[in-house]
Amino acid sequence: MKYAFSRKQLAIPYAVFLVLFVILPLFVVLSYAFTNGDGQISFRNFVAFFGSSKTVGTLLYSVVIAVITTCLCLLIAYPTAYILAKTKMKSGDALLMLFVLPMWINFTLRITALKEILTVLEGNLALHPFLNTIVGMVYDFLPFMILPLYNALAKLDDSYREAAQDLGASKRYVFLRVILPLSVPGIVSGVTMVLLPSMTNYVVLDMVYNSTYIMGSLIGSYFSSYDWHNGSVISIILLVIIGIITVISNRFTEGESDGKVSVLR
Amino acid sequence: MRKSRHEINRYAMIGLLTGGLLLGSLPLLSGCGAAEEDAIVLRVANWEEYMDEGDWDEEDAVEFSDGTILCPESSLVEDFEEWYYETYGQKVRVEYSTFGTNEELYNQITIGDVYDLACPSEYMIMKMMTEGMLEPYSEAFYDADIPENYYVRGVSPYIAGVYGELSIGGEALSTYAAGYMWGTLGIVYNPEKVTVEEASTWKLLLNEKYAKQITIKDSVRDAFFAGVSIYQYDDITAETFRQSDTYAGDMYDKLNATDAVTVDAVENILSAIKRNVYSFETDSGKADMVTGKVLANQQWSGDAVYTMDQAEEDGVELCYSAPEESTNLWFDGWVMLKDGISEAPEKKQAAEAFVNFLSMPENAVRNMMYIGYTSVIAGGDSEKVLDYVNWCYEADPEETDEEDMVEYDICYFFDNEDAVIMTSEDQTRRQLFAQYPPAEVMDRSVIMAYFDAEGNERINRMWTNVRCFDLKSWWEGLAK
Repeated sequence: MKYAFSRKQLAIPYAVFLVLFVILPLFVVLSYAFTNGDGQISFRNFVAFFGSSKTVGTLLYSVVIAVITTCLCLLIAYPTAYILAKTKMKSGDALLMLFVLPMWINFTLRITALKEILTVLEGNLALHPFLNTIVGMVYDFLPFMILPLYNALAKLDDSYREAAQDLGASKRYVFLRVILPLSVPGIVSGVTMVLLPSMTNYVVLDMVYNSTYIMGSLIGSYFSSYDWHNGSVISIILLVIIGIITVISNRFTEGESDGKVSVLR
Repeated sequence: MRKSRHEINRYAMIGLLTGGLLLGSLPLLSGCGAAEEDAIVLRVANWEEYMDEGDWDEEDAVEFSDGTILCPESSLVEDFEEWYYETYGQKVRVEYSTFGTNEELYNQITIGDVYDLACPSEYMIMKMMTEGMLEPYSEAFYDADIPENYYVRGVSPYIAGVYGELSIGGEALSTYAAGYMWGTLGIVYNPEKVTVEEASTWKLLLNEKYAKQITIKDSVRDAFFAGVSIYQYDDITAETFRQSDTYAGDMYDKLNATDAVTVDAVENILSAIKRNVYSFETDSGKADMVTGKVLANQQWSGDAVYTMDQAEEDGVELCYSAPEESTNLWFDGWVMLKDGISEAPEKKQAAEAFVNFLSMPENAVRNMMYIGYTSVIAGGDSEKVLDYVNWCYEADPEETDEEDMVEYDICYFFDNEDAVIMTSEDQTRRQLFAQYPPAEVMDRSVIMAYFDAEGNERINRMWTNVRCFDLKSWWEGLAK
């Protein structure tokens, strides 16, 4: 029989990758999380996590850092992306480049530079660990918020805005009822790109001398003392949080995929 | 764990380049491998930047008292391959790899990496011994009559004593391990801001006068040692306790205690330390000391030497102290791994020869010069190691005031009455003190054992508690 090439076969490399590096490890993590040192099925690790005020404290601390970081990124990125998207000049691309450029520079280098700037401003970094962490996180994740927002806003058809204006909507009304709802998919993907990584990116905390653990540092700490079980529990908890956020954000973007545009209601 | 005194430098660059070249030429080697087949392959795992790579500058050259000058061009590994062929008439090829922490090495081995010779720290050696992973050294290795046995002929009697006395499950550590580098755990401080008295105790970490100006290591074991020393301070500094016949054993028991009461107390102390210090640092401490961001930090002696050297170049004078309650005597040693060695008996000879080669006095000096840590080798009949210490620290009588000249006695290490260095007074608190602490510091030093499973779990939980966000005290702080 002659060998027939079908387009589906192009997906084989990715399928292999998916099985080897996504699905298999996930099962390893699951099996570690729900077993004890003797290999028996156990929920003790979860009970221990939620039973300790310290580990729950770190979960809340990570959530607070992540939420504040995401909100600040959104507040800074939205107007920036809007201006970038609406700039008629060719300088728009150059401006965008300016915001994306930091991503091309090694992260450690950037955060070291930031550390020095903050030291000059504050004197002793250790006096404001929380503030410094937020500054570091926002600085690190801002491009990840700007890009999806910029994409969403740049694609936005100007005729919607013109139509709303022709029908007598004020500028504020146009923004709140037309532009903002239409950019929700961009906001959602920006939020997902920033919220979760900022719960685990403990390098930022290390670099700005914040010695309190977040979820990521907790995993690292467990793993370095061969405690695969508790480390996996943290990963599962993060996985559940990701799951919840994905479900919620799907709700937001569903309207668009149905072809209905919710603004026009 | 122990880092080199050289930061990323040209040695590392050369290392990278040669590494790249070697990798590139691998297929070539295997293509014409007939000549290579009879070579013994020795797989060595060592700390990063923990062995001389040669290519010294002329200004680094060391001159010994017999007039010979040491300025190597090739790396110790290359020199060993050559020396082994000349001495034993057999080819050996060293596959050299590095690790960053003891845990990393252990994890690599448990997931299936095979090494013949590795250089873990004392507690990891104890763990590996307990788990039966190690191959014992042969009896011939300890025969001082064999001229090639540089280790047994050159090792400091003090270190040999430590290795001989420490036993796990009835077997002495020296059966399974040969020493490499050793040192103490102490505090580097800026003497202009912090007084000698303040820096002479681990309580400095709690001193509110220096709130947010001191760093501590981000390592469970090092932090625990400082914490438990503070907790036991009154007991272990009491004169009656110090004079007791069982002092050494009692100290070991007290500072290695992992019972719930001790660990809880240490948790409170470390939480207070966390509130008081600048940070728990992984690698920034050395640079922050030099730039003056912090005034003191917890450090291993070898890193302390590096930090003091660096600061000196910037015109800042730093000092090192080994706290009066106790210091942690640590050492890294060479162990042979059963999994690797059992594949071929001739590997054992090569592995032991490698340790002996590193223990040649001039090679010990090469390593000390390159790494900055202190070799366990005192030199035996050879004066070269002592020459090196004099070369580094002997004060020039013409340039130093007579009042500043002191006799610094390290006879205990060299087992040699001439081991008294005429040095300047400040060196008794600086590099010389860090590299070769005086006998009384070693008298109150303690080795930190590998804790049993229960103790380990308790200490790791304690560490997590210290480092996690403390909701309760945050809430209480708000309520105020």
